[in-house]
Amino acid sequence: MSESGVAPEPDVEAETERDEESFTGRSVRRFEDRRILTGQAEYVHDKAPEGCLEMALVRSVHAHANIVGVDTSAAEAHPDCELVLTVEDLKDEYNPQPCGLHGFQEWSLADGKARFVGEPIAVVVAENRYLAEDVADLVDVEYETLDPVVDGMEAREDEVLVHADYGSNVADNERLTFGDPEGAFEDADHVVEGEYYWGRVSGVPLETAGAVAQYDDEEDAFYVDCNIQLHTLVDDTVFETLGYPPEKVHIDVPPDVGGSFGTKIAIHRYVNLAAMASQQLGGTPVKFVEDRIENLQGGDVHSSERQYEMRLALDDDGTFRGLDVWFVDDFGAFPHYPVNQVLKPLSVLTNAYDVDDVAYEYDLVLTNKTAQTAYRGFGVDPHHYALEMIVDEAARELGMDPTDLRRRNLIDPDQMPYKLPSHNIYDSGDYPAALQRIEEMIDENERCEGGLLDPEVVEQKRQEGKYRGTQPAVLIEPGVSGSDWTDRQRSDREALDDRPRDDVAELPEHFRVELEEDGTVRTWLATDSSGQGHQTLVSQLVADELGVLPSGVEVDYLDSVDAPTEYGSAASRMAVMLSGATVGACDGLVDGLTDLAAAHWGVEAGDVAYRDGAVERVDTGETLSLAELAELDDGTGEEAKTRATYDYPHPATLEEDFDEALRSKYPVYPTAAYGANAPIVEVEVNTGEVDILKFYTVRDCGTMLNPMIVEGQAHGGIAQGIGAALLEEFGYDQDSGQPQAITMFDYLLPSIENVPEIEMDHTVTPSPFTETGAKGVGEGGMIDAPASVASSINRALDPLDVTADRLPFTPDRVRERVRGADEE
Amino acid sequence: MSTDNTAQSGELPTREVTVTVNGEEVTREVEPRLKLSDFLRRECGCRGVRVGCEHGVCGACTVLMDGEGVKSCLTYAVQAEGREVESVEGLSEDGLHPIQESFHEEHALQCGFCTSGFVMATKELLDEDPDPGREDIEHGLADNICRCTGYQNIYEAVERAADKMDGEGDGDKMDGKGDGDKMDGKGDGEVGEGD
Ligand code: FES
Ligand code: FES
Repeated sequence: MSESGVAPEPDVEAETERDEESFTGRSVRRFEDRRILTGQAEYVHDKAPEGCLEMALVRSVHAHANIVGVDTSAAEAHPDCELVLTVEDLKDEYNPQPCGLHGFQEWSLADGKARFVGEPIAVVVAENRYLAEDVADLVDVEYETLDPVVDGMEAREDEVLVHADYGSNVADNERLTFGDPEGAFEDADHVVEGEYYWGRVSGVPLETAGAVAQYDDEEDAFYVDCNIQLHTLVDDTVFETLGYPPEKVHIDVPPDVGGSFGTKIAIHRYVNLAAMASQQLGGTPVKFVEDRIENLQGGDVHSSERQYEMRLALDDDGTFRGLDVWFVDDFGAFPHYPVNQVLKPLSVLTNAYDVDDVAYEYDLVLTNKTAQTAYRGFGVDPHHYALEMIVDEAARELGMDPTDLRRRNLIDPDQMPYKLPSHNIYDSGDYPAALQRIEEMIDENERCEGGLLDPEVVEQKRQEGKYRGTQPAVLIEPGVSGSDWTDRQRSDREALDDRPRDDVAELPEHFRVELEEDGTVRTWLATDSSGQGHQTLVSQLVADELGVLPSGVEVDYLDSVDAPTEYGSAASRMAVMLSGATVGACDGLVDGLTDLAAAHWGVEAGDVAYRDGAVERVDTGETLSLAELAELDDGTGEEAKTRATYDYPHPATLEEDFDEALRSKYPVYPTAAYGANAPIVEVEVNTGEVDILKFYTVRDCGTMLNPMIVEGQAHGGIAQGIGAALLEEFGYDQDSGQPQAITMFDYLLPSIENVPEIEMDHTVTPSPFTETGAKGVGEGGMIDAPASVASSINRALDPLDVTADRLPFTPDRVRERVRGADEE
Repeated sequence: MSTDNTAQSGELPTREVTVTVNGEEVTREVEPRLKLSDFLRRECGCRGVRVGCEHGVCGACTVLMDGEGVKSCLTYAVQAEGREVESVEGLSEDGLHPIQESFHEEHALQCGFCTSGFVMATKELLDEDPDPGREDIEHGLADNICRCTGYQNIYEAVERAADKMDGEGDGDKMDGKGDGDKMDGKGDGEVGEGD
C-alpha cells in the first residue's frame, strides 16, 4: 500500500558503509536505542548523587480553601525530618513564579489559599521518599473551605473568583476579525451553528517529572538535572523565582527523557522547590520524583478543555462564505506559559478550506483545577475538531455529501503558497489530491466485496446494532513556530498594527560542531529531546554535510547556561530547524578546515578542497584526514579552526510574505504538513462502545529526513488522537471540584488493544521555505486524528442523527445520545 | 509514590531478604514496605526497571519472577524472597538479545521509558508462545502502556523477534546471552522448550 509512498522499512544501520547515497532521507536506525534497550540510559529518575536526599510534598485536599494554618511542628520533631518549608519560608528569600499573563502572583507553594486539589502547600525532605512521605503525613494543614468554580462557562459569570484580587475569572480575551465576517454571514444563503466540547486531556508521558538540584555554596550557583522541556527558553521560570541571574542557574536535561509532548514545559514548580530545598540545606542535593497520582491530580500538566460555539456561513451550492469561532478555554487555577495555546489555531484558521471572512474569539478562564500546560498540537487539535464538526453539520443541513462539501471548499494547489486571512502562509500542498488518494484507498480496500465497508456487511452489521462508517478529510499541521508572536498576550495589542518589522526578534536555532582529537565530529544541540531521535537525525545530517559516517558523529546537549536562549523542541520545529542549523555549522567547519590545511601546505585556500572527511591539496592529491586536521589545530592559531557555531535564522524571517504576521504577532508557522485520514469506525449502539477497525491515512510532510522516525511520530500521534477522541479525560466533580482521574485506572491511555492497524501512505511535497524541503512533523496525528475519528462517528451514526459533539465520545455519552435520538 | 504503610517513629522494622537477580544472589536488610521496583533500582543496580505509575497499570516496571511477568511496583521486595528475578539487564551479557535487537530494528521505541517493560513482557510471551499471532501479541502486551509509538512497530518487533528466536536463531540467542551461568540454566531450558 505504498504506491506513492516511500518504503519506510528501517534499512540502514548507522555504521553502514558510506555509499553514493546520502544518509538524510533514509531510515537510519537510532543511536539512542542501545543504551535504552540494555537499561543503561540515565533518565532523571535514575540520578542519585552521593548523599542525595528526597523531597515529598504536602498537597491541598480541597479545590478551593483558605489555608488557616500550617502546623509543621510534629513533622519537624520526626527524627528523620531534614527540612520542612512552607510559603512563609519561600517569601523570605525567593520570588513568585513568572506566570503566562500579567496580574497574577503564584508562589511555588500555596499562599494563604489553595486553588486546586493537589496544590503543593509544604515541602518535606528526608533521606528517602518513603521517610519523606512519613514526615509529610505529620504536617497539619487547617483549611476553611470555599465553594469552588469548576465549569469554564460558569466561571465567566464571576460568582466565585479564583483570584479575588484580579477581579475576574476571565484572565484574557480577544476578538479578532479577518475580512468581513459580518457581511459574509449576512450575504450567505445559510448559516449553520453548533456547540462542541473538547474534554480536558493531556500528554501523560510515561515518565513523570523529576529534578535533582544542588546548590553550590562556593559559586553561589545552582546545578539542576531535570526533565523540563525547553530548558533554554523557560529557564526564566526557575532563575527568576530563585532570584538569581540566568548564568547562576545551570539547568541540564539528560539525553533521555521519557516523553513530554509539551507537558514538561511547565514543571518549574518542582525544579524551584528542589533547588530551594538544597539551598536551605546548605547544598545537599535534593531529588524530587513526582508520583503518578501527583502528576494526574495536581502536576500543572493538564491541557486544553474547550467549549466551542461555531458558526459557518455557506451558499446553496456549498461554497463556504464565512466562519465564526468562539470558545472558552478552561486554564485551571493559574494562567501558565501556554496561554498562547488559544492563539495557535489562527495559524490554520480555516484548516484546508478557502474562506476569507472569519471571526475568532476566545475567553481564557480560570477555575479551581490544576493549571494547563502545553500538549502536542497546542490547541489546534480542538480547533480542527470543532471546525470539522460544523462542516459535518452543514452537510447534514444542506443535504450534501460531506466529502463533496469538503472537496468543493479545499484550497487549490494553484493558490499555493496560500495566505490565510489570519496572515500565516501554507507553504505547499495538494489537498484535493490527498482527499482523492484517501478516497481511492478506501474504495479499493474497504468499500468493496469483503471490505470493512462492503455495503452488504454494513447493512448486516447495522441489524446487529453496529454502525460503521468513515469520513475522509484533509487536516493541516502547522509547523516550525516562530517565537516572537508567543508573547502577544503580554504585549500592548492595540499598538501591534503599527509595529515596525525591525522590532520582530525571532530566536534562531543554535548549533555547535567541533573536531575531537581522534577525528570524531562532536556536536552540541541547544535544545532538549524526549524521544524524537534527535541524536540520530543530527548525525545523519552532519554525516552528509561532512562526508563521514553517522557513527563518527557524537551528539551532545548544552545546558541552559552554555546555550543561548532558544525556542527548542516544540511546535514541530526540530526537523526543519536542525537541518538548517547543521548545514550552516558544517559549512563553517569546512571553511575552517580548508584554511587550516591551506596554511599547513602554504597554499591558497582555493588550492585545497574538502571532500568526504578529508581536505585534499588539488595539485598534488595529498590529503589530510579529520584526525590529522584536529592535530594541526592543537592550540595553535588565533582561533580554533576545528570548531564552528551557527545560528540558523527562523525560516519565516527570510520570506517577506510573513512580515505582516510577524509584525502584528499573529502565529507564524512557515510549514504546513498535512494528512488525509479515514478511520473506519464501528459504533455498537447498545453498549456505546466505539471501535476503530482500521485507520487509513495519507500524509505529506515534505522531504522526510528519516522516514522511519516520521512514521513513528505519526503512529504515536494518531494513538494519542484516538485516546483524546474516545478514552481520555480529566473529569472533575462539579460540586466539590475533586478530580476524578487521578490514577491510570481512571485516566485511560490507549493500550495496544485500543489502537487499530494504521495503514499509512505518504506523498512528498517539499517546502519551498526550508533548507531541506522538510516540514514540521512532530504533532501531526494528535492534531488530525481526533477530528477524523469524530467525523467518522458522525458518518456512522448518521442514520440515527447522532453526532460526536463531545469528546471523548465515551460509551455513556454514546448511549445517552442514541437514547435521546430514539425518543425524538 | 504513596507509601502504603507509614511509620510514625524513626524505628522501622526490617527483614533480611535474599533474591537471585539476573543470576546473582543478593541479600539485603530491607523494610517490609520496600517495593521490589525500588529494591531492584536502588539495591541491585537494575535501574533499567522503570517506574511509570506505581499502581500496576503502565507495566514499565515489569520483570520476570521465576519466569513469570510481574509488576515490580505491586510486589514487595520481601515477596521475592528465594525467587529468581530477571530484568532487562540480565537478558544478554554482551550484545543484544534478539528481542532487544528486534525492537531496535523495527523502531519499536521512542522515549524508551516503556521499553524495559515491553521487552520483558515480550520475553514472557515468546517463552510461552514462540509464534504468536497478532491477537496473541495484543493479548500478551495489553498490560503495558506505550505513549509514544502507537504500538504499530511493537507488533513488528515481536514478530521479528519470534522469527529470530525460531529454529536456528535460538543457537545465536544462547551464545549471545550466556544464560547458562547467569540464570542457573533456567533461561536456557525455557528456550529449549520453546522450540
Ligand atoms: S510502575 Fe508498575 S505498573 Fe506502572
Ligand atoms: S517509547 Fe515512550 S512510552 Fe513507549
